[in-house]
Amino acid sequence: MSLNLSGVYSPIFLKTRRTFLKSTFCTTALIVLPKSELFGAVPILETIALVQEDLLPSIRKLDINSSSYLSLILHHSRVADDEKEFLRNGVQWLNEEAVLHYKHPYIKLSSSQRQNILQIISKQRWGDNWIYTMLTYIVEATLSDPIYGANRDGAGLKWLEHIPGLPQPKEPYL
Amino acid sequence: MIYDICIIGSGAGGAPIAYELSNAGFNVLVLEKGKDYKEEDFNKDELAVCRREIFTPPLKEEQHVINERDADGSITRYEGSKYNWNFWNGSMVGGSSNLMSGFFHRMKPNDFKLKSVYGEIDGANVVDWPISYEDLEPYYAEIEKIVGVSGKIVKHRFLEPRSTPDFPYPALAVNGITQYFDEACKSLAYESIPTPRAILPLNALGRQGCSYSNFCGSYGCATGAKGSARAALLQRCSATIITEAFVYKLESDDKKVTKAHYYDKNRVSHIVDAKIFVVAAQAIESSRLLLNSKNEFFPNGLSNNSGQVGKNLIFSAGGVGSGRFTFESLSKQKELMQAGLFFNRSLQDWYEYEDNDKKYKGGTIDFLFEHTNIISRATKEFYDENGELIWGEKLSAKIHKNLTTSRVLTFEVFNDWLPSDYCFVSVDEKIKDKFDMPVGAINLYGHPHDIKVGTHLANKAVKVLQEMGASDISMSISSSPPPNLVAGGCRFGIDPKTSVLDTNCKAHELQNLYVTDASFMPTGGSVPYTWTIYANSFRVAKHLVSRLNALNNY
Repeated sequence: MSLNLSGVYSPIFLKTRRTFLKSTFCTTALIVLPKSELFGAVPILETIALVQEDLLPSIRKLDINSSSYLSLILHHSRVADDEKEFLRNGVQWLNEEAVLHYKHPYIKLSSSQRQNILQIISKQRWGDNWIYTMLTYIVEATLSDPIYGANRDGAGLKWLEHIPGLPQPKEPYL
Repeated sequence: MIYDICIIGSGAGGAPIAYELSNAGFNVLVLEKGKDYKEEDFNKDELAVCRREIFTPPLKEEQHVINERDADGSITRYEGSKYNWNFWNGSMVGGSSNLMSGFFHRMKPNDFKLKSVYGEIDGANVVDWPISYEDLEPYYAEIEKIVGVSGKIVKHRFLEPRSTPDFPYPALAVNGITQYFDEACKSLAYESIPTPRAILPLNALGRQGCSYSNFCGSYGCATGAKGSARAALLQRCSATIITEAFVYKLESDDKKVTKAHYYDKNRVSHIVDAKIFVVAAQAIESSRLLLNSKNEFFPNGLSNNSGQVGKNLIFSAGGVGSGRFTFESLSKQKELMQAGLFFNRSLQDWYEYEDNDKKYKGGTIDFLFEHTNIISRATKEFYDENGELIWGEKLSAKIHKNLTTSRVLTFEVFNDWLPSDYCFVSVDEKIKDKFDMPVGAINLYGHPHDIKVGTHLANKAVKVLQEMGASDISMSISSSPPPNLVAGGCRFGIDPKTSVLDTNCKAHELQNLYVTDASFMPTGGSVPYTWTIYANSFRVAKHLVSRLNALNNY
């Protein structure tokens, strides 16, 4: 997979790290800048999808659309802005850690290397919180009512033999 | 138009006034900040109701500031929106009673005279109530019939005196596993009590009976079986209810409240005239409204020349605990996993107890299955036995095993949160809500005595779980305030210097202002508050009928 710099590298966007991340997240790519040196850009949704499968492998078998669900969360009015920003920043920091240790972004690493990166960041306070937060939204996607679209045919609920409460929602709350 | 009575808030404190006064023929207006929902609007969408919290205001629009006092006297300030610390309970017609679990216990006679019976406690403002259990008993009994309380009376050491032999509605069906609980209690010489619930087991009162869908707490009831203020009272009376009406100020002269000012959903301000005003916006918000309504006659807040408004805020002290029952250790797997049926068992053996020859006021322990919410149950599996965060196949396997081959029984401890000078409501000087009104500040302090009592009770509950063969037993007793179990702030009493309200819950300093939510409670008893709020509100309603009859015939 080639690293795509087009459309995101701009002095305006790089003005502050916060502005940069907020403006680019879930659109195209992130720029990874370990030790202030421009390294490259990585596709964000692909990173998130891979992290989610690494954190809860069952979602692949259950065909849970967890990354799309996270996109929804990042635009939800009831999710605190600080949390959205933390989720976004975590993707950046994860990649910085990957580059630092293996000189490649997260999606370019082998399965064992990715698990090693997750282990490394889990020892840091932000990393522990970020993994926990990611897991929370993965579980939300997996066990949400099928009407939200992530848990297709209720596969996640069937996995846990869970009988949904009645009545189930007739429309998603977004 | 001048209404006979204007009620601010439509929950358990306001709805009985609306119900009784409108049924008595008076012109009643209810101003409710939230929206109106009917049975058909409620569903069991965990994401919407419990994760995104659709029934409470977004914290970035409306929040509280929490000033937490530590044991060393230092105070830490938390802005609710930054720490996601949410003290809202249900902004909707019927208030948080829509979302309650409906565990209905009466307060006991000694709860009304805590100071006389158990004595003073250093650092706590314990007082006797100005009324007795006998004054409230007829209203507890009335609510059993009007709201609908189901259960079965079992005689035990602390059973309160009753004017009727049993509940008007039979107990809800329970899970077969309760027999093990009863046997364990018997072997420990504890008295197992069927938990009374404000849930109809059958069609009655124009409402459908329980459908055993297994999602009571936190959710609106789609059948109407739950005795919410909306289903049981407001839908059965002719009171006018204006929804999405946020009352931001009460106007007064030196003797009376003259007007209520409210914003509608478009932030257009309106004025209401009434002969009598009743504030029932839930404890914290009622005090906040009075404090935000200061004027030339009441420069410290309405009816606050005594300085008592907001003081002696209380919560329910205690905590929670749990134990897990696994297929491997229990032969009755089928019974354990029966969905929908209640557990409904309580212990009150230690409502009063002695320790080292000293008499203590104890409390209640309710046992219930862990909430069925599947997302919250799965998120509890994120840590291993060493407290390390886990993920990957290890987490998938743990979630699957624990959620499909075991079930968690929990307990909740209710004991008195002692009122003190350090726990009170004020308004924050810096932060305003979306209506540009100063937000409520919750000055938080839990008395160490509460932890001592709560721990004593929790240890008893743990013994039951051990006797039943549970694994992974844990308990947590702390000063963490449960936002849905809040009272005080406008305590009632005889002395205007030490209380805000008189015996009828009328403000000492104003002739036509009443507060009828849990604000009036000087102490909370050791049970959930809702039944007592209902009972007191029916009691005040009776007084108001007499008073309005007199006013209108004058």
